[in-house]
Amino acid sequence: MSAETAGPETLGSLSTEPENQDPNSQQAKEIAGKSPIRIALGRLARDKIAVVCALVVLFFIICAVFAGPISHLFGVSLETPLASQRVDGLNNGLPKPEMGPPNGPFTWDHPMGVAPRTGEDNLAYWLYGCRVSLTIATTATIFASLVGVVVGLLSGFLGGTVDKVLTFFIDTFLTIPYLLAALTLAPIINERFSLSDNYSTIQKTSLIIVLATLGWMGTARLIRGEVLALREREFVQAARVMGMPTSRILFKELLPNLAAPIIISVSLMLPAFVAAEAGLAYLGIGVTDGISWGQTILKGTNLTFFREYPQYLWQPLLGVVALVLALNLLGDALRDALDPKTRR
Amino acid sequence: MFAYVVKRLISGVLVVTLISMAIFLLFWYGPSSPAQPICDRESGNRCTPARLATYEKTLGYDNPVYEEYGKFVKGVFVGRTLTIASNDYECAAPCLGISFRTKAPVKEELVSRMPATFSIAVGGALLYLLFGVPIGVAAARRRGSLADKSLVSSFLFISSIPYYLFALLTWLYLTVTFEVPLFSNTGYFSPITEGPWKWFSGMFLAWVALGIFGCTQYTRYTRGAMVESLSEDYIRTAKAKGLPARTIIYKHGLRAALVPVVTIFGIDFGTLLAGTIFTERIFEIKGIGWWALEAVTGKDLPVVQATALFGAVALIISNLIVDVVYSVLDPRVRLS
Repeated sequence: MSAETAGPETLGSLSTEPENQDPNSQQAKEIAGKSPIRIALGRLARDKIAVVCALVVLFFIICAVFAGPISHLFGVSLETPLASQRVDGLNNGLPKPEMGPPNGPFTWDHPMGVAPRTGEDNLAYWLYGCRVSLTIATTATIFASLVGVVVGLLSGFLGGTVDKVLTFFIDTFLTIPYLLAALTLAPIINERFSLSDNYSTIQKTSLIIVLATLGWMGTARLIRGEVLALREREFVQAARVMGMPTSRILFKELLPNLAAPIIISVSLMLPAFVAAEAGLAYLGIGVTDGISWGQTILKGTNLTFFREYPQYLWQPLLGVVALVLALNLLGDALRDALDPKTRR
Repeated sequence: MFAYVVKRLISGVLVVTLISMAIFLLFWYGPSSPAQPICDRESGNRCTPARLATYEKTLGYDNPVYEEYGKFVKGVFVGRTLTIASNDYECAAPCLGISFRTKAPVKEELVSRMPATFSIAVGGALLYLLFGVPIGVAAARRRGSLADKSLVSSFLFISSIPYYLFALLTWLYLTVTFEVPLFSNTGYFSPITEGPWKWFSGMFLAWVALGIFGCTQYTRYTRGAMVESLSEDYIRTAKAKGLPARTIIYKHGLRAALVPVVTIFGIDFGTLLAGTIFTERIFEIKGIGWWALEAVTGKDLPVVQATALFGAVALIISNLIVDVVYSVLDPRVRLS
């Protein structure tokens, strides 16, 4: 390499690294100042699938956060004037031709058409459905991770009786399928709160609780295993010898070393919760106030609508599939990036 | 070995007892009044406080909870007579209560719904193994080849889609839109009264959907375990001895690789038995999952309670069986 291409800060040609020519030595030089997470992110950025998936996820996050402004931009809203203005009651309640598909051409008034029978605007419901889906999944993930991390830390670090009791709880909760639990709780919550003014809030809260209560065990197990290995390491022993209180060892010494398993478990949980939320809504035992992809899918599977207007089913369905798929593939790439030994 | 089984059985019984208590308490304290749904139903949504009190009294909801739980447990073992308002209902031995909607003992309907769920679970689980294990073995043998790579990534793709949407699309397109002959009439038909062929064709699509979706996981596990076991020293020894490839793969490699597969299989089978809710809902198979959903809509609390209990017991038993089979298959497992 010539002197011009070398950077101004390089001294002597022997110690300089040719840029973009020898990735190994380049990395070896930089690696000294990089945290494991930074290295993983660097690996991730080179993974084309991961980048595409991250963009897709970002798109959904933007849709969810700015559901209001975006629907305002398109001039659509959740409020529906009179259903009969938009749908044709004589034609199975399918949208009128001027409302766009299936009987008319595309219109900017309703970019994704309107729902049969109720005349609700699909775009607005799609955007707010995205918000519901991501809100519930994210909140449940946060709670489940918190519980999982705390339980895993305690049972792994303290050992003994505490470990035995907590492991028993982990194993017991692992045997409860979330579907069965949701199914069991749905009629009770319905019976108790269906006349309440904020029924839909109660419904969503209980859904989050169900998902979080049945979702923390994976994290707890993962963290427990990791802590079991970490607590024998020298830095923990040193901290103990110094007389550091247990809580400080747990949160200052161990927790920073658990970033990778926590990220991994979040990446597994998030898509599972998105799928669960939509699935429960589809069964009619999740969110039932109508603003959920699962609920729209359920309406779209009405065979008359499906035959005449499959687009109505496909819109929320593609939303769920794309989001879950992107989250799953991104999570998979993240796991590979964090632990290069587990190449698939 | 025997001591281990006994120990696991005892802990299983303990867990069943705990779960049944938890479910009982949930249905006792969960609703505003456990008698509200039946009162609403019987009085045509004109449930006055006086009527509600009558229902609560006859159903025993004014007694302390432990007394009623005792009666419930007694009913499971020897049967009992339940009173709803002024009518008495006989509930024979494993009594799980009286349905609020049909007034029939819950157990009878549970038993009548079982064949449908059982058919799905057995067929689906069989296909998990039938598709998953051979594909996994084949992929492990050709590790690193183009076929292996494309198989692994396409299976990763399939398994990243939520199952119910996959099943829904297969049903909507194969059954409704294209009316593919073998798939055109899904549902549960009794193999005895309506003929085995009708039963088979009604179940077939559900099995295939379950099998294709579920086998991705089995392929992954089998492939992973096979890759590992094929790199063991004893495989090299077997090769050096000049054993035929078939013997090496299936007798030496696969046997060791199957252990983790058996574990997930047992858990999956239990989950399938506990409620193939999505499968039943989508393919209109009227088994236990379908029944539970109906009960949820109709606020039929005894039925929901019974299905929850049934699901929990099915899972616990299958876990127990897995643990025992595991110790037989893998002598390295220390029984403690």
